[in-house]
Amino acid sequence: MKTHKPLLALTLALLLLLPLAACRREQADSLTLMGKESDLDKSYIQKILRLYEDSTGRELRLISIEDAEYETRAAELFEKGQAPDIFLHFNNADLNRFSVEDNFLRLNDQPWVDGLTDGARAYCQDAAGNLLGLPFWENSVSGCYYNKTLLDNLGLRPATTQEEFDQLCQVLTQLDLTPICWPADGCSWMFQFGLDPLFADDPALLDALNSGAADYAQIPGVTDMVRWIRDAAESGWFGGSYLRTGWSDIGPALASGGAVMTFIWDSWFYTDFRPDVYSVDDFALMPVFMNTQESGTYEGGNLNMMMVNKNSARLEEALDFLAFCADPENYNAAFAGISTVPCFKEQTTSIQSPMVLEASASVQAHERVSTAASRIVGYSADDMAVIVNRLLRGEIGLEECVAQMDASRRADAVAQGKS
Amino acid sequence: MKKRTGRLLAPILICFAAVVSIVIGTVYYTVISRRIYEDSTAHLEEIYNQVNRTFGAFVERNWGLLTNWGQYFELTGELDRETLEEYILPKQDYWGFSDFYFLSPDGKTVNIAGQEGTMTLPGAWERLMEQRLPSMAGHRLPEGQEVTVFAVPVAPGTYEGFSYEAIAMSFTNADLAESVNVDAFGGASTCFVVDGEGGVLFSTRTGGSIFANYLTYLGAASDLTQRELNDIRADWSNKRSGVIQCRITGVDSFILYMPVGYQNYILLSVVPVEAVSAGFLSVQSATMLVFIALFLLIGTAVVFLVVIRGRRKSQEDKRELQYRDMMFDALSTSLDDIFLMLDIDSHCVDYISPNVERLLGIDPEEARKNIRVMERCAIDGDVYIPKEELMAIPLHGSILKECEYMHQRTGERRWYRMAVYHTGIQDIEKDIIVMSDRTQEKQMTGSLQEALDAAESANQAKSNFLSNMSHDIRTPMNAIVGFSVLLEKDAEKPEKVREYTRKITASSHHLLSLINDVLDMSKIESGKTSLNVDRFSLPELLEELNIILMPQARAKGQTFTIHVTGAPPEELIGDKLRLNQILLNLLSNAIKYTPEGGSIDFTVAELPQSAPQFAKLRFSVKDNGIGMSEEYQENVFLPFSREINSVTNKIQGTGLGMAITKSLVDLMGGIITVESAPGKGSTFTVELSLTLPERSDSDLWYRHKVTRMLVADDEEDICLDIREVMRDTGVEVSWVTEGASAVESAVRAHEKGLDFSVILLDWKMPGLNGVETARLIRESIGADVPILVLTSYDWSDIEAEAREAGINAFMPKPFFASTFWQTIRPLFEKAVPDAVAAQAEPEAGVLEGRRFLVAEDNELNAEILTEMLHMEGAECDVAVNGKEAVEMFAGSLPGQYDMILMDVQMPVMNGYEATRAIRAGSHPEAESIPIVAMTANTFAEDVKRALDSGMNGHLGKPINMDAVKAMIGRLLGGGNREKGDDRHENP
Repeated sequence: MKTHKPLLALTLALLLLLPLAACRREQADSLTLMGKESDLDKSYIQKILRLYEDSTGRELRLISIEDAEYETRAAELFEKGQAPDIFLHFNNADLNRFSVEDNFLRLNDQPWVDGLTDGARAYCQDAAGNLLGLPFWENSVSGCYYNKTLLDNLGLRPATTQEEFDQLCQVLTQLDLTPICWPADGCSWMFQFGLDPLFADDPALLDALNSGAADYAQIPGVTDMVRWIRDAAESGWFGGSYLRTGWSDIGPALASGGAVMTFIWDSWFYTDFRPDVYSVDDFALMPVFMNTQESGTYEGGNLNMMMVNKNSARLEEALDFLAFCADPENYNAAFAGISTVPCFKEQTTSIQSPMVLEASASVQAHERVSTAASRIVGYSADDMAVIVNRLLRGEIGLEECVAQMDASRRADAVAQGKS
Repeated sequence: MKKRTGRLLAPILICFAAVVSIVIGTVYYTVISRRIYEDSTAHLEEIYNQVNRTFGAFVERNWGLLTNWGQYFELTGELDRETLEEYILPKQDYWGFSDFYFLSPDGKTVNIAGQEGTMTLPGAWERLMEQRLPSMAGHRLPEGQEVTVFAVPVAPGTYEGFSYEAIAMSFTNADLAESVNVDAFGGASTCFVVDGEGGVLFSTRTGGSIFANYLTYLGAASDLTQRELNDIRADWSNKRSGVIQCRITGVDSFILYMPVGYQNYILLSVVPVEAVSAGFLSVQSATMLVFIALFLLIGTAVVFLVVIRGRRKSQEDKRELQYRDMMFDALSTSLDDIFLMLDIDSHCVDYISPNVERLLGIDPEEARKNIRVMERCAIDGDVYIPKEELMAIPLHGSILKECEYMHQRTGERRWYRMAVYHTGIQDIEKDIIVMSDRTQEKQMTGSLQEALDAAESANQAKSNFLSNMSHDIRTPMNAIVGFSVLLEKDAEKPEKVREYTRKITASSHHLLSLINDVLDMSKIESGKTSLNVDRFSLPELLEELNIILMPQARAKGQTFTIHVTGAPPEELIGDKLRLNQILLNLLSNAIKYTPEGGSIDFTVAELPQSAPQFAKLRFSVKDNGIGMSEEYQENVFLPFSREINSVTNKIQGTGLGMAITKSLVDLMGGIITVESAPGKGSTFTVELSLTLPERSDSDLWYRHKVTRMLVADDEEDICLDIREVMRDTGVEVSWVTEGASAVESAVRAHEKGLDFSVILLDWKMPGLNGVETARLIRESIGADVPILVLTSYDWSDIEAEAREAGINAFMPKPFFASTFWQTIRPLFEKAVPDAVAAQAEPEAGVLEGRRFLVAEDNELNAEILTEMLHMEGAECDVAVNGKEAVEMFAGSLPGQYDMILMDVQMPVMNGYEATRAIRAGSHPEAESIPIVAMTANTFAEDVKRALDSGMNGHLGKPINMDAVKAMIGRLLGGGNREKGDDRHENP
């Protein structure tokens, strides 16, 4: 009896350790998906994840990172070889730090690719047209959203030309109103609205830029846009504190009537806007005018896409997950009742905002696929914002500003090995 | 009056001319402005009538063209796209319309390109389709662009299968702008075609399509009121023309409107006023400038003339004034009255007589610039008469004021009577001030007043003094007289005799004390008291106080403690006698007014002093006695002041002690303060600055090899104080707070071969007391190290035990370096093995066998003294004056007299002269015979004078035998003559 005691103890210990080991193994085998804290909280993301787990019986391991640290922390994890299987990233801009070539799988040949809308696909491609991720997001229309009620009360109507837009801004300024909420502090998406028509309408120009045959200074539209921004700021069209205006200030400025217009997207009104003096119903959509297209422009949706880590040990499973998400039945279940422009051709359960519907003819006539941010090699909206803000602070001149923008673009292109 | 009117005429005329010019200018400006407005509006109307006609022609043309095309289509029949394009496109190129439409009655349209759409033509559809009239309306294209559509009804037809009943052409805003554009006004005008509600059809403004409703816009952007906007709307609805002027976004603008003549459309023009009236306004501005320039020119010329004339007149006036001033100056220079003239408004000096320099030492020019310099001379600062006071003097009225001034250069003080006359000179109100010297009168009056005051004061003082003295002297005198009567009556009853005698003695002492105080006070107050400044020892002073007061306190069961904090200098220069008197007064009072069992704390502390040759000391006497009321504290230092309550009534006092104390402190330049509360006690604090003597030998301790000492005292503060006191001596002080620790320290030092130079032990310590500690130390380290006991108690009871335990000497608290040195010096010099000195007391029988020569002119006093000496076993011979005393001493045998008791105030020869004569005599004992003054003159000066004359001591009258015995004991060395003392030796 005495001799059996150690054996019994060992057996008991093994029995105790076995479930723990199983747990560790199960966790290690789960598909990992990394995203921003706020992105993973979106109802349709939560819904598709639950659907996947319920339908397949597989468990997903979510890596949620605080919004402000997301890009930095994610890049660190990639560098350390701790990348997730699936990586959520906001469209194809500013991917430079993630070594796209080395880390992400091209998805051109996936069976669900044809089910994407052209607009949505445009946001998920690299400059060469390779699909980098599955768009799965609230798709929206970016344009100039204006306070319709306020304009009506002033006897004014929205602009249909650049001339009219400038007139409108001038008249609103004369009436002591801030025509445009321009969030110069940390927000940088506006530039692509101005640049998109230049390159979308003239692909040769884009090729010349990317091939190094041309630079920004040689494209008059770029200087026109920057000049317009400078003149608008100097004319008071952005108000007095635009250099300190950031993301969180846009909503209050519009809701209070402090600003009449801003360049943003419709879904923002349903996610970030909080009514005050004015509610969502008081707003309408007109084209963005940034002196690069006389009749203005709209930009298609900006999207979050799901990218697949090409070095993942669970590559097949990751691709299965994307296919699951791209299944019409599943995405329609996830997007049911969500206000968005469809990402998928068969997306039928989502709804479109009244603002976009009302301006649908104009949108149809003037919308451009997002081109500048996704197709210009080395394009960095954040760098551009920093440089333009220097101009607005009077630290540099117009030509210097355009030159610095170009130098920044070239430097990023070199960094990406695409010079 | 006439002159003043003449002087005011010019400004009045200038003002009048200015007012007239302004009125003319204003009228001119108003008339011209109105004319400009009328001309401008007329000009506007003329231009826009032409524009309206042009637009009308444009509309008619379009409708005409459409009608013709309709007729063509009617003739053509079924239209296909090719036919249409062939027909219309050339016309589109020619006439410049943006598109062409076929319209069906249900609002559907097809354009040239065959695109289908809808058209509502707000406000015009019914006119077109039902009334079959040509129409004009705005239309918004699907992509948002606004166009104006001209449509006409045509015969029903079909185009590519589309059935239509009207056709239309559209023009963009830019196209139409050309039709109504106005080149006038430098392109600053904007023309709109609006409907009756303000809805904008199109405008000529670049980007003008942003205006949806101009009336609404005006409501937001202009200064038009709602009523004015309603009027405009009414005009437009009723197709009336009009012109208004208003501000639109801050720009003055004309708004002109007139019906187009079709439907309810209005041609509206908005033109900045500046653009319309620029020419007129420039003429108006130029005219106004010329007018203003002329006005300024004429005004300047007038002012120039007035100034020139005024200056000329002013120069004449000035010359006249100078002449008068010179005359007046010459007159006033010889007078002792000062004249001033002040302007009543500005309070500036118009004139001041030059003698102000001689009489007050003030520069007249300086006074002219600023009358306030006179304040410098004022003794009481009340010389300056405020402006308000001067203003308050009625015209032709005056005020008088007397002030004392001091001459600024000589310092001489003089009284002036200041008479201020308010008068008018040439209708200008002035104040004329005459300052007359009244010094002699004032001095005379002052002298008289002073004399009167002095007399009254003296009288009052005398009355007060007599009143107080009457009471205070009568009280003990009453007892003396009363008990003397009783004594005579009860002479046979020894007990009664002793009781009466004791009471008479007590009353006599009180009376004597009162007389002493009165005389002391009298002398201090009369300023005849002087300080006898000399070097003295603070420790000695404190010891003397302790000797005097400790028995008194002990008798009442009180705790009397002397504290010394810090390290006050031990040697000082000052009047020790007076300081002693001050402190004795305070301490005696503390003991007197503190109940039995109370405590009196006497603290001496050194205060910071900036001058190195002085020491500032604070003496505090704190008791927990009966205290004083707040009211009494205010009077405590006044003579004859005593607080009356149940306790003080039982305590005798003259009420002069604190007054004397305060006077002496004042005399020494110090301050005395008191803090007290009834029932809680009092604290009297005296702060004095005393001169420090030259520093003593600092190597003293080192030379005598006193380098380390051990102190044991259970009070840590005392240990620290001792260390502080010894800091300058270079002696290293180690301290412990227990006897056992002291033993341990001493033993350890001994074992190391580093014995302490001296060990100082507190007598009463918890655990081992000083004696026990000393015994243990001696047992361990032997007898080489001197051990002293420090105590504030009487050590006589333990002296034998202490010596047996190995204690070398005793030292009183508080600790002073000098006392310490004096105590240990014999131990280190091995001169005296033990230094415990017994306190000398007057010995009984000290007078026995002695023989005195008494010089006393008063027979009664001589008899009393003789009897008293006889009672003590001594003999005496009496001389009735100084001369006789000198003779009796000169005739005496050597050794015949032990001492001469010398009265001071005597006829023939006073005591001082007699002493000097004796000392100067040839008698063998002339220089050595002790001579003691015996006098009622008891002040310090009297003592000094006695000693200066050659006497050896001083006794105050009435004679107190204890004092006599103490003095004799001191001078003759104690024991009686039979004990073999050398009577010839001076002490």
